[in-house]
Amino acid sequence: MRAGDLVIVALVLAAAIGSTILVSQAHAGEKGSLAIVEVNGHEVRRVSMGDSQAARTFTVEGWQGSSTFEVKGGRVRMTKSACRDKICIGMGWMDTSGRSIICLPNRVVIRITGNRKSGGVDTVTE
Amino acid sequence: MAPTRRVTNLALLVSIGLVLSIIESTFPPLLPVPGAKLGLANIATVIALYVFGTGMALEVTVIRCILGGLLRGSVIGLFLSLSAGLTSTLVMILLFVLADRFISVIGVSVVGAAVHNAAQLAAAYLLIRNTALFYYLPYLMIIAVPTGLFVGFASRRVALSLEGLSLA
Repeated sequence: MRAGDLVIVALVLAAAIGSTILVSQAHAGEKGSLAIVEVNGHEVRRVSMGDSQAARTFTVEGWQGSSTFEVKGGRVRMTKSACRDKICIGMGWMDTSGRSIICLPNRVVIRITGNRKSGGVDTVTE
Repeated sequence: MAPTRRVTNLALLVSIGLVLSIIESTFPPLLPVPGAKLGLANIATVIALYVFGTGMALEVTVIRCILGGLLRGSVIGLFLSLSAGLTSTLVMILLFVLADRFISVIGVSVVGAAVHNAAQLAAAYLLIRNTALFYYLPYLMIIAVPTGLFVGFASRRVALSLEGLSLA
């Protein structure tokens, strides 16, 4: 172990901290209102995410098989997936606008967009 | 180095890399993040670099990635592992050639792990075209430190044992 090795480790940790800051500034963490489901980069489904506590499940066909996700209480999670590692299911519930549940093996992406402020107005017309 | 010896050593290193990646594929994922792997196969590349030189390291990586991709039967996997393997090996070679006096095998291995993870993310972005993928970058950078250190210490141990043998 030489001095340069410690510099390298410090640099990589600095890159980790730097990228954390960049990523967290990109999306300030608002609750999303719409889940957009993409398979292989093409949108296949849009699901609105309201406050309703009733669970709704949807299934889309991915690259390796079907992916099932559940929308409940303004959040979305993957419940079944044909992929091997089930990393997408392990990501759990997601409700923040700009974040995604990504299943790379099955090429399924659930992207959360929009902005849902509880108690606020939906839209304003003139 | 006699050609026969060179081919034999190359074949041995490639098979070490392949076996290590097969063993690793039976482990559960370290983090719920795609690409967060121990990277045991990089031990073969690092040993090739430090015991046999830069050309051998490049050959071991390219052949290992192509054979590994064919064995797993996944073209996407081949693309991801070859692009990341090639990028990280080139950066490790660069460090080895330019900064060998300041950085040991440990540092080179940590850089290799970090570059591998970043390059794989970039390659995955080319496939999936979603900027949300870069949410994984911080996790992949953090995990590169312990995995890179592990691979570095393991490679140094092997390289020390190989020192006394006349391989070349």
